Amino acid sequence: MFKKLFKIFGPIIFALLIIFLLLISPFNYGLKKVSNDDQKKAAVSLDHKIIKGKRIKEQALGQNDYVAFFGSSEWSRFDPMHPAVLAEKYNRNYRPFLLGAKGTQSLVHFLNMQTITNNLKNKKAVYSISPQWFVPKGIRKDAFNFYYSPLEATEWLLNESQTPKDQYIAKRFSQLLDPNSDHVLHQTFTRIENGKKPTKFQLLYIKMRHQLLLNEDRLFSSIYISNRNENKIKLCTKQLPPTYDYNKIYDLAGELGKQNTSNNRFGISDKFYRKQIAKKVKRFKGFQAKEKFTKSPEYADFQAVLETFAKNNTDVIFVLPPVNQQWQKYTGLSQQEIQNAVTKIKFQLKSQGFNHIVDLSNDGDIPFFMTDTIHLGWRGWLYFDSAVGPFLENHHRPPHYQLNNHFYDRKWQQATVDQIVNFK
Amino acid sequence: MIFFQPYENPFYFFILFIALLPIMISILHGKKIHIYESLISLFFLFLTFGGPSWKQGIALIIYTIYETCLTFGYLYYRKRKNNQLVFYFTIFLTILPLALVKIATAIHNQKLSLIGFLGISYLTFRVVQTVMETRDGVIKQLKLSQFLPFLLFFPTISSGPIDRYRRFIKDYEQVPKQDEYLEMIKKGIHYIFIGFLYKFILAYIFGTLLLPEVQAAALAQRHNFLGLSWSLLGVMYVYSADLFFDFAGYSLFAVGTSYIMGVKTPMNFNRPWQSLNIKDFWNRWHMSLSFWFRDYVYMRLLFMFMKKKTFKSRITAANITYILNMLLMGFWHGLTWYYIVYGLFHGFAIVINDAWLRFKKQHPNKLPHNRATKYLAIFLTAHVVCFSFLIFSGFLDKLWFIPK
Repeated sequence: MFKKLFKIFGPIIFALLIIFLLLISPFNYGLKKVSNDDQKKAAVSLDHKIIKGKRIKEQALGQNDYVAFFGSSEWSRFDPMHPAVLAEKYNRNYRPFLLGAKGTQSLVHFLNMQTITNNLKNKKAVYSISPQWFVPKGIRKDAFNFYYSPLEATEWLLNESQTPKDQYIAKRFSQLLDPNSDHVLHQTFTRIENGKKPTKFQLLYIKMRHQLLLNEDRLFSSIYISNRNENKIKLCTKQLPPTYDYNKIYDLAGELGKQNTSNNRFGISDKFYRKQIAKKVKRFKGFQAKEKFTKSPEYADFQAVLETFAKNNTDVIFVLPPVNQQWQKYTGLSQQEIQNAVTKIKFQLKSQGFNHIVDLSNDGDIPFFMTDTIHLGWRGWLYFDSAVGPFLENHHRPPHYQLNNHFYDRKWQQATVDQIVNFK
Repeated sequence: MIFFQPYENPFYFFILFIALLPIMISILHGKKIHIYESLISLFFLFLTFGGPSWKQGIALIIYTIYETCLTFGYLYYRKRKNNQLVFYFTIFLTILPLALVKIATAIHNQKLSLIGFLGISYLTFRVVQTVMETRDGVIKQLKLSQFLPFLLFFPTISSGPIDRYRRFIKDYEQVPKQDEYLEMIKKGIHYIFIGFLYKFILAYIFGTLLLPEVQAAALAQRHNFLGLSWSLLGVMYVYSADLFFDFAGYSLFAVGTSYIMGVKTPMNFNRPWQSLNIKDFWNRWHMSLSFWFRDYVYMRLLFMFMKKKTFKSRITAANITYILNMLLMGFWHGLTWYYIVYGLFHGFAIVINDAWLRFKKQHPNKLPHNRATKYLAIFLTAHVVCFSFLIFSGFLDKLWFIPK
């Protein structure tokens, strides 16, 4: 009988043993090193798997001269003035590690930062923040769940200590995360939200799960990294003059913009217009007239990002990109609403000592500034670079931040511009 | 406390294995401890119907009491009298909760209504079948200590396979011999691991990774005539693969777990993609359901039509019954146009299939029959089925009628 039983269960026990060795044990099997080529591809791949992972980000930011560029869909608009292209062409002392894709907002970046806190410590970073993130409901549930990374979440859980920030984050996670994705973690978030520590079982589970995800990340993260964007960048560098000359590049940006925006009156690149807009252009008329950006949980989500930067003494430059003004007029998007958001964001930044701010939000009317409806292109990228480039090339100067926890409050999230004066 | 959908994740299987261990040991020693089995069943029911789903748990308890009273009440009556109307009325009452849930779901937009719970359909199938066999006189006595384990057998509670009362009780009361039981464990483990491949790898690839992609691509081309596009064809194949691997995987878990508990729950799938025609398909796909409909709807309707001579020809009677049978199955899936069309589609497909088979019989030498025609038949059948699943998926509803 035992012989037969062993025949049935032996393979299962053996398989479990292998899985245990591969996934639960803390060994790293010499898989630690990510090749420079892979780092280079990963830095511009914009792949959500890389954003959600740890090993590649950690090594690129830790060992080489990569700088974290947090943002969203603008990073995918490659042209010769894109910051990654300019850094590559003129062999700057930094290279962007692009963290962001369609739908990533502050809460996703907060998660994102959890696996690279060591790499943010006493370093520089770039944070592109769009006023359009600050819609009344904040980040969309589906976007959050798509970019939610259990590895980053468990990393945060292992470091959290029931501060107001932690309670706020736990509340947001329990609101947004699909409970079915992980019941235990979801219940842990609810506990922390209510000011309680995770139970012993939950802590054990978090540790196990973290180790498992860490090993998964070690084993599988560099299996396939797309080089599509890297190739695009290579092609773009060829169009630039051999040495950096702002005026020459500015003219080139105008020329390229002109060449590529011939089929519409909005100054939107032809390809984008043909694919995304042409067929339903009438439907877009006035469709953003009711959008509001003044009251949003996004302000508090942003505060969690700021706190993480401050705790790590990161010297950050914030960029506020504009919207294509001709398009904006067509869709009815209110510039007043955008400026309200800009005012609030700037107040939140400056009052806490974040003083590197590049406000481009009024530049949407400059020809060829935007590549499409809401994304920087040609001249816009050059403006971006002429502010961000020198900041990154200079030496790190220790910033002095004074955090204010009231920015997590509902009162701040819902504050109008007039109420800012009274806010302390 | 953690709550699960049945067979949801590896942790569920871990708990399941620990719970099954004493059962395995006791059966290997030639004993079945029914009290322990019942406790384990209750525990797993609690894992599924407790916590956040407690409302469903209450609904399950009330439903169980209601149906048990009906079944035992009917048996009590049947021992004395056998009035047809009483039988019909009893069947009506047994189906009533399910029917109400289906209607409420249709009105309330896909939400489980107050009296609904996960698996209510499958419990109803078991009850109806027991009542019908009581009427037939095949079931002469019922014991609560057997009826409840049958009704609430946890491995199959949420989605079948649908077992039969007499078959189940035979397995339940019998203790398999050691050699035979070792063979059952081996099969059970084998089924569960094939299930892992189906549900956690293949259904994940098709359902979670591919399906949203092809659906988005098809929706992007919805302005085409009838929304037709190559992507829509992709949706058809990907959805069909997902449906099969998801459900077959689940069924394998249920059958595998039953085997380890010493109960040979019938299989639900037998290589359906190798079916030679639609009739053959229904003998291979979701078998416990289609056999249930065959035995308790089709056969009985047909018998009634024949006895009353409702239709002149046998063929008409059979055809009408096929369509009614499949239509009812469509209604059972839910009160939406696509489930009902799906039912009708299969009803007509079987009628056409039947006509073709008769034609072949009448002209035995005129039609070629070789390997090529066999593969053509398999290919055609698979595509008719995949097309019906595209209807079933409800994606066409989204594509055609739900504005962006």
